[in-house]
Amino acid sequence: MRAWQLSMLMLGTLLAGPVAAADYAPLPGGTFTSVLPADGKAAAAHIAPFRLRTEPVTNAEFLAFVQSHPQWRRDQVAPVFADRGYLSQWAAPDALGDQVLPRQPVTRVSWFAAQAYCESEQARLPTWYEWEYAAAADAHRADARSDPAWRERVLQWYSRPSNQPLPEVGGAADVHGVRDLNGVVWEWVDDFNALLVGSDSRDQDGADKLKFCGAGAVSMQEKENYATLMRIAMLSALKAVDTTNNMGFRCARPD
Amino acid sequence: MTRKLSLILAAAGLVALGGCSGKPAGGNASQAPLGNAAAAAVIPPDAFGPPQGEPIHAVLTSPPHVPPPIHRNYPAKVIVDLEVIEKEMPISEGVSYTYWTFGGTVPGSFIRVRQGDTVEFHLKNSPDSKMPHNIDLHGVTGPGGGAASSFTAPGHESQFTFKALNQGLYVYHCATAPVGMHIANGMYGLILVEPPEGLAKVDHEYYVMQGDFYTTGKYRQKGHQPFDMDKAIDEKPTYVLFNGHEGSLTGDNALTAKTNESVRLFVGNGGPNLVSSFHVIGEIFDTVRQEGGTVEQHNVQTTLIPAGGAAMVEFHTDVPGSYVLVDHSIFRAFNKGALGILKVDGPENKAIYSGKEVDSVYLGDRAEPNLQAVSEAAKAHAAGTLTKDDQIKAGQQLFTGTCSVCHQANGEGLTNVFPPLAKSDYLAKQTREHLISIPLHGLTGKVTVNGAEYDSVMPPMSQLNDDEVANILTYVLNSWGNPGGQVTKEEVAKVRAQPAPAPAAEH
Amino acid sequence: MKRFVPGLLLALLLGGHALAATPLPADSVYQLDATLTDQDGHAQPLAARRGQVQVVSMIYTSCTMVCPMIVDTMKLTRNAVAAPGRDKLALLAVSFDPARDNVDALRHYAAARKLDLRYWTLARVEPTDARRLAALFGLQYRQLPDGDFNHSSELLLLDADGRIAARTTTIGRLDPAFVAAVDKTLAAH
Repeated sequence: MRAWQLSMLMLGTLLAGPVAAADYAPLPGGTFTSVLPADGKAAAAHIAPFRLRTEPVTNAEFLAFVQSHPQWRRDQVAPVFADRGYLSQWAAPDALGDQVLPRQPVTRVSWFAAQAYCESEQARLPTWYEWEYAAAADAHRADARSDPAWRERVLQWYSRPSNQPLPEVGGAADVHGVRDLNGVVWEWVDDFNALLVGSDSRDQDGADKLKFCGAGAVSMQEKENYATLMRIAMLSALKAVDTTNNMGFRCARPD
Repeated sequence: MTRKLSLILAAAGLVALGGCSGKPAGGNASQAPLGNAAAAAVIPPDAFGPPQGEPIHAVLTSPPHVPPPIHRNYPAKVIVDLEVIEKEMPISEGVSYTYWTFGGTVPGSFIRVRQGDTVEFHLKNSPDSKMPHNIDLHGVTGPGGGAASSFTAPGHESQFTFKALNQGLYVYHCATAPVGMHIANGMYGLILVEPPEGLAKVDHEYYVMQGDFYTTGKYRQKGHQPFDMDKAIDEKPTYVLFNGHEGSLTGDNALTAKTNESVRLFVGNGGPNLVSSFHVIGEIFDTVRQEGGTVEQHNVQTTLIPAGGAAMVEFHTDVPGSYVLVDHSIFRAFNKGALGILKVDGPENKAIYSGKEVDSVYLGDRAEPNLQAVSEAAKAHAAGTLTKDDQIKAGQQLFTGTCSVCHQANGEGLTNVFPPLAKSDYLAKQTREHLISIPLHGLTGKVTVNGAEYDSVMPPMSQLNDDEVANILTYVLNSWGNPGGQVTKEEVAKVRAQPAPAPAAEH
Repeated sequence: MKRFVPGLLLALLLGGHALAATPLPADSVYQLDATLTDQDGHAQPLAARRGQVQVVSMIYTSCTMVCPMIVDTMKLTRNAVAAPGRDKLALLAVSFDPARDNVDALRHYAAARKLDLRYWTLARVEPTDARRLAALFGLQYRQLPDGDFNHSSELLLLDADGRIAARTTTIGRLDPAFVAAVDKTLAAH
């Protein structure tokens, strides 16, 4: 990227206003039993109240973003920020084409691109805890994870390959008013690459084992939560620059 | 409390297990293994020298076939390309399951290399996959057996290189958390590392791999069945199968050989849970390389194959017939599907075996051509178009091997032992409810049929579900001069919901 | 050990063409627009470090176990590099704990560890940039409830244009392959 482009980027991120007024719903947060306790054992997660985008970012919204931030066009983005699959489902760098619907969640976006979009909306990516807490809700409760029906819905989606066209956003709202958290696309979180980190260890062998086994950082609080564990596995398989057919994102804001 | 604790530990084990081979962190496997106990028994890594010649693209095969033996006397660089594909396939007639596969099959493609080869492994994950996947090859010396290096998101490819230090037959499987689920969905296969001098020549080599499957529905319950984690943790499989599907090694898919040929089976056990008691009915294994290792055993009837393990068995075919491969934990063979056939053709040899074909009793319905009528009937029932004829055809196929074992294929029964069903005055007299309750709950005690008295025990046919009972009864009612009629699945369900009648027989 | 003059920073902000004539490679970490503030309080863009071969890692100053080892390994590696290349090698450690690692903390740490500031830089970035930098470097970190971090430990070698030329997870002793890569990159510089 040339120096003038560098300054354009800085200017762009300062001046760009929100693309379209996306809806954000307030979530109360609180104490939450995560599948990934921060101390590796049983510490509950503390989540400050925050606001979460009610729907994942759509193709139309992301298109508007790349039009006003051309450094994020797939033909201009630096390869360190997005891999070759970035936005490859669109007909052109600045047009969706017929195969891609404006109201489908945008996929094939890297973590860097998702971050940049959220910044353009005066928001950020949710943290893993915020996302996990939000996704535990169903239409009636904030934490429906003990309900077999909740688990069934989540697992149903996992058991089907990603070879069907994506549904459009706008599914049923949960108790917070948020939609489409389960069963549509995987979603980026801010600390996606911090989920299976081995603990500090003087023993380098141990650290290596922990680094990929994740034994030190993951403990299953409830056996039912293997549904959530699979989401963690997916996020941990990715690097920030990766894009996949079925990974999208949404943003969060402070309350 | 202990149960919850053991569940948590078991589940934690699911995660912690992921590919952790416990081997020293060496990263690049071309470094010498550091003080690993196994290293003492193994030829040092440079004994075969660096790879020579042009890189070779490994020939991979789908089960039950095996790549041809390697005829090479030098170590080479071998490139293996394996793709992970998630796909829906039938697990049984009329029952579908979403499998996660290496190379589109369960078990995954068979990989064959030579000891000392340097293997450049490319693992691809189809862009259509929902999940990330990786691979742990038990034949790899290095962190996680390759699992650490090969964590691959959908639409991506990973590459890692290892030197095949040890000869033997090794399992490979996916080691992405939750590991048990990835394995239960079919992500396993075999890699054979040939000794430098190769294996002795045989006429046929086949690839068989056992696995246990866990579905929320019961055995052969029709429709798409999802994976059931609770059953998997409780180790209560719904299906135990060779090569991933019922019928994968029977009927048209049976293995074949001629008499007086040598057969080698590479038999793996992907698990995830069960150990296999592998036996071929009618054959004795001349040689068993137990657990895929180097020491040979001879004259073995049944060999244990651990979950995540393998064995090589060799035998010579002497007389023609259908030889049944089973897991000799026998209810798995007959009630969960762990059954395959090796069909041997050729001239009889009365000196060795003079009798009829060994296994007409054992074959049951699995040796018949596909249970086509059964799945047709299931489809018709779902569509609301089920006719009596559909039921009769389906019932006939189900009758063979389940009921015919005692009542015989022509319904004649066995004098003084099993009552006949043909033109049975007993059946004609029964109320609808009692008729249905016979296969559901069994029948004990004295009955008089067509003038003869029988005092026997018919066990409950609890492996049959409602539509199977309905179809069988419809077939029986409309065969051999019986009065006719039709039994519906709904009627069976109602009777099933009632408690079993008192054991006293009705006359 | 050269340092780019502050005028370059000005030129960048004004969108001038003062940067090196050759365009930045597509896979350079300097594509990231982040500001580093060092132990002396000087702030400059990450891209200002272009032109130096560096060994880089990420640490936090309250870390008592692995991070001191990371720092020591970086020193060890530099000493193992052949002179005269050694004099051109810079060492950079960036904190992923900007909340507690302010400029004072960095300065104390540099003094306590006796870091030779002629070629050492300890720096902090804003929290969002810390996550982005770690993502670019392929490093991971996660904060624990007690304020400590779980994190991966690696050294990275950046060539003069900011491409990652080598990396090693060997901490506490030398990685000969990594040292060789440093020698090679310095020679090509």
